[in-house]
Amino acid sequence: MAQSQQPTTRKAAIVGGNRIPFARSNTAYAQASNQDMLTATLDGLVARFGLQGESVGEVVAGAVLKHARDFNLTREAVLGSKLSATTPAYDVQQACGTGLEAAILVANKIALGQIESGIAGGVDTTSDAPLAVSDDLRRVLISLNNARTWQDRLKVLGRIRPGMIAPEIPRNAEPRTGLAMGDHAAITAEEWEIGREEQDELAARSHQLMAAAYDRGFFDDLVTPFLGLARDNNLRPDSSVEKLAKLRPVFGTGEGATMTAGNSTPLTDGASAVLLASDEWADAKGLPVLAHLVDAQTAAVDYVHGGEGLLMAPVYAVPVLLVRNGLALQDFDFYEIHEAFASTVLATTKAWEDPGYCKEKLGLDAPLGSIDRAKLNVNGSSLAAGHPFAATGGRIVAQLAKTLHEAGPGKRGLISICAAGGQGVVAILES
Amino acid sequence: MAPTELERPPSMAALFARAALTARGRGGDLPDTHLARTGVTVDGGNLAGYARICGFPLTDSLPPTYPHLLTFPLQMALMGDRSFPLALPGLVHVRNRIDVVRPIGATESLDLEVWAERFATHRSGATVDLCASVSAGGAEVWRARSTYLARGATAPEGAPESDVTVAVGDLGRAAAVWRVPDDAGWRYATVSGDVNPIHLSGLTAKAFGFKRAIAHGMWVKARVLAALVNRLPEAFTVDVGFRKPLFLPSTVTLATAQAGGGWDVAVRNARSGTEHVVGTVRARGRGSPS
Amino acid sequence: MSDWYTTFANSGFGTTITRQLGLPRPAVLRRYEPGQPLLPGPAVVGSAGEGRLRNTVTAVLRDAGVTVQSPVTADGGTDGEKLAAVILDATGLTGPGDLAGAHGFLAPAIKRLRPSGRVLILAEPPSDAGSPAQAAARQAVDGLVRSVAKELLDGSTANAVYVPEGAEDSLAGPLRFFLSGRSAYVDGQLLTLSPADVPTREDDEKPLAGKVAVVTGAARGIGASIAQVMARDGAHVVAVDIPAAGDLLAEVANGIGGTAFQLDITADDAPQRLVEHLRERRAADGRQGVDVVVHNAGITRDKLLVNMDAVRWNSVMAVNLQAQLDITQALLDADVLEDDARIVCVSSQSGIAGNRGQTNYAASKAGVIGMVRAWAPRFAERGATINAVAPGFIVTEMTARMPVGTREIGSRINSLQQGGLPVDVAETIAWLSQPGSAGVNGQTVRVCGQSMLGA
Repeated sequence: MAQSQQPTTRKAAIVGGNRIPFARSNTAYAQASNQDMLTATLDGLVARFGLQGESVGEVVAGAVLKHARDFNLTREAVLGSKLSATTPAYDVQQACGTGLEAAILVANKIALGQIESGIAGGVDTTSDAPLAVSDDLRRVLISLNNARTWQDRLKVLGRIRPGMIAPEIPRNAEPRTGLAMGDHAAITAEEWEIGREEQDELAARSHQLMAAAYDRGFFDDLVTPFLGLARDNNLRPDSSVEKLAKLRPVFGTGEGATMTAGNSTPLTDGASAVLLASDEWADAKGLPVLAHLVDAQTAAVDYVHGGEGLLMAPVYAVPVLLVRNGLALQDFDFYEIHEAFASTVLATTKAWEDPGYCKEKLGLDAPLGSIDRAKLNVNGSSLAAGHPFAATGGRIVAQLAKTLHEAGPGKRGLISICAAGGQGVVAILES
Repeated sequence: MAPTELERPPSMAALFARAALTARGRGGDLPDTHLARTGVTVDGGNLAGYARICGFPLTDSLPPTYPHLLTFPLQMALMGDRSFPLALPGLVHVRNRIDVVRPIGATESLDLEVWAERFATHRSGATVDLCASVSAGGAEVWRARSTYLARGATAPEGAPESDVTVAVGDLGRAAAVWRVPDDAGWRYATVSGDVNPIHLSGLTAKAFGFKRAIAHGMWVKARVLAALVNRLPEAFTVDVGFRKPLFLPSTVTLATAQAGGGWDVAVRNARSGTEHVVGTVRARGRGSPS
Repeated sequence: MSDWYTTFANSGFGTTITRQLGLPRPAVLRRYEPGQPLLPGPAVVGSAGEGRLRNTVTAVLRDAGVTVQSPVTADGGTDGEKLAAVILDATGLTGPGDLAGAHGFLAPAIKRLRPSGRVLILAEPPSDAGSPAQAAARQAVDGLVRSVAKELLDGSTANAVYVPEGAEDSLAGPLRFFLSGRSAYVDGQLLTLSPADVPTREDDEKPLAGKVAVVTGAARGIGASIAQVMARDGAHVVAVDIPAAGDLLAEVANGIGGTAFQLDITADDAPQRLVEHLRERRAADGRQGVDVVVHNAGITRDKLLVNMDAVRWNSVMAVNLQAQLDITQALLDADVLEDDARIVCVSSQSGIAGNRGQTNYAASKAGVIGMVRAWAPRFAERGATINAVAPGFIVTEMTARMPVGTREIGSRINSLQQGGLPVDVAETIAWLSQPGSAGVNGQTVRVCGQSMLGA
């Protein structure tokens, strides 16, 4: 009997990435759709790596806010791009974790030898967000569509009331709690006693580091301009703690309210993509390997009734990942902790330092300990770039891979991304 | 006394009208009438609408509050009858306790029976309990007790003290925020048939002395249970007290805490903290006495 | 970029109007397209004195399928078939007396020249002459060819190639270039060849097959055209431009199957980053080297000298000259250039003729000419070359924004009575990049339609 060969695993290489500059909602990309942005991003990646007419193993991407017409968003973007039309594609969605999850999916298929190359990405627009007709009107319209005779249709039309006409605008709120993500983060910030000043410091640092990274050309091979925008337009190179201190809190209530528009990410439009491959594929194409995706982990918390913060899931995912890889939290040269809110990053690191929390919630004998802040988000993160939900993962993967590559071989980085629905996606990259 | 069996559910609007017209001159003791219906099946469309409006997932089981929709018309018929000592307009639902003996399949054939009991003295009037029992295949699967307060009314001599207190432990911060729209009452009325004018619109509520329309207590209770869906025991007792009216529209918070193998819950006004509903959910052994 | 006037003047109605008004009647130039024969008709080869290149020339023509006719006599009239090219081998000139032969050959032949015809004079450099009389005769070719170029009509061009003793092998490539449609806008030029190890002849259709070519300023205009022509000729193009132009750059790269590399060439670490990029990306055959570098990126910051601030001066120098120097040096130091590399630097007519308001630009572009001349011997040692191309009035987005008057005058004051197209510059650069151009080194080739400026 023929023995089927056991799949051997290998580590997927990160060859590089591309994104369009991120734009604050209703600014530079007000007229652009998710498909427009994703296509442009793929084309920029194709140009960077000479993939014209190439059929990569798979393109995996997604958007958090999707139109009904975008049911096959990624494949449509592929068909509109310079990639070969024979490139398969599928959509994923894990809220703000979409981009990283897409990269993990592609990396896993490469690791199993199912594909040799793949592109992972994500895109979101809050400018061209899908408006839905009200649920009532939608039901009437469905009935109308199903009505067979004109009498039936008239009867159905008679059910429309003026109040049904107002459209439903998607809100950045958790369906089960009705709370905006910022409200959830504010609760966590209060629980962990995250101060206003440390949040503003983190935000100012993010802007300064990202501006510096742009100035030294770090983003030259990570970003391709789009619609006249060459840099993220949320970026404030002159941001400072003093300036941020003047802003009024927008989340949280009363004295304890510390979260402002300055230390929270704004609604943003943008797209990103990462090229992953086997080492052999990259070698055959004469393309570099910036880093490898070593391992990844997801976790989720019960933020509804479980008493845990909405954005705290990465705190749970990381120790699992560390144990599996025999690593300590301090065994990293770089940390990329997604700055959904400055307070999220601070609560995350504080939780890892807290012996009681680590024991009770994470089941650890000893706390994970602190991380060296100098290694955290060294080229800026979402507070500076903005955060087009599904596009953030791709931005971070490419950015960290390049950072590791610049630092030389054998460097290790940790990615931590919190996501709506109480989820967290974390991963280890190594150069 | 053998229950009086009804062929079909009575018309609710007609019941309200008749109850209003015959409100005057009521008095005396509770009738020992039992009203019943047998072989009742659930209308799928109505069930779907109810699930949607209350936030329950649509499944092959009835939401724990759903049987109330089946028994409520019978209770209305009971209360609307001239033999009932309290006038229906002005009756306020102050407490509702439901015992889910076991989950009920959406297609099961159900037998319903309702009656009134426990005419009791309350500091601001009198209360009466409208009870309901739902059976399937001869075994009780669900029962409920709705306590109504009639302000200024007097219970008969020797009536017991009314018990409308539902106690909950410390509840933490809000688990959820609900924006309750101004047509919430109207929407619930369309699926529940509870067309009490105080719920339907601001105008009709004003006619009965309320500044604005009031959310149905049973809708709030249903939403609470919907928020806890999949975290409820198979068999449980959910007991809620309806406190201050929830005027429409409002923004309210739901606070939950695990307690006694179940939950303590409260629905409060998001701004003022006024309590609208407090309640407890407790697991019960199968077939344990209610 | 359409030249509305050329189109108009060549329309039926426009022909009548322009003739009656005595307006210039610019011709539609014969430009190269893949698959095109070297010449659209027969060529005639003659000599003045005892030339030594006739056989070489005839062999190249025959190889390209061109019918070579015998020289016609002065009284031969215009009866014969129209000629596509007239080639004079003047390498045998010993003194002014021999020039009569040039006249005797050229006059009747040029009469029979068809539109977009080619007149090419092959001579030896005056500097190598054995006697004053010989030097005089050789130098006379200079005046002769420039004047012929001005007399020619209908898009025909005249150029001279100086072929020193021992550089005979270098001739084939340049000869093909000047005869072909690739040189459409090169007119009245004198090119000096040098002895070189010329590889066996490349594929005519894909002379750059397997080559890796870096083109700076490739996002738009002439740079985009260079990238396109290089890719058409078989090169893998690394298209470089500033990050802010990255979207256009990506479009160019995607259009030609190349790669986009966003780089501000004036950044301190730009040469190093380009080197690293080229090292990380390998050609399909595993080579890490680069075969062709085209320094095309350039900017203008015009102002009269007395009003020019340091920023304008410095930025133009940084992009147009210093970056070319630094990047070339870094590529040499890092040893990422193939031994037979070709460097082509874009200079400008302004660098030759000067231009009011362009002291900075003209200085930088003149500097480029000096740079290639100085570097040429070092490049020659390894079989590489470095040359400059000086475009004249080229119709681009930039010139399209000029005032109509300035633009129309600028585009007409040349022998071809029209502005050139970016592709004309690109064709010249692609030719200089070919392996067969090994004998062209340290030269500055003007692509200007024999502009009256600086001629």
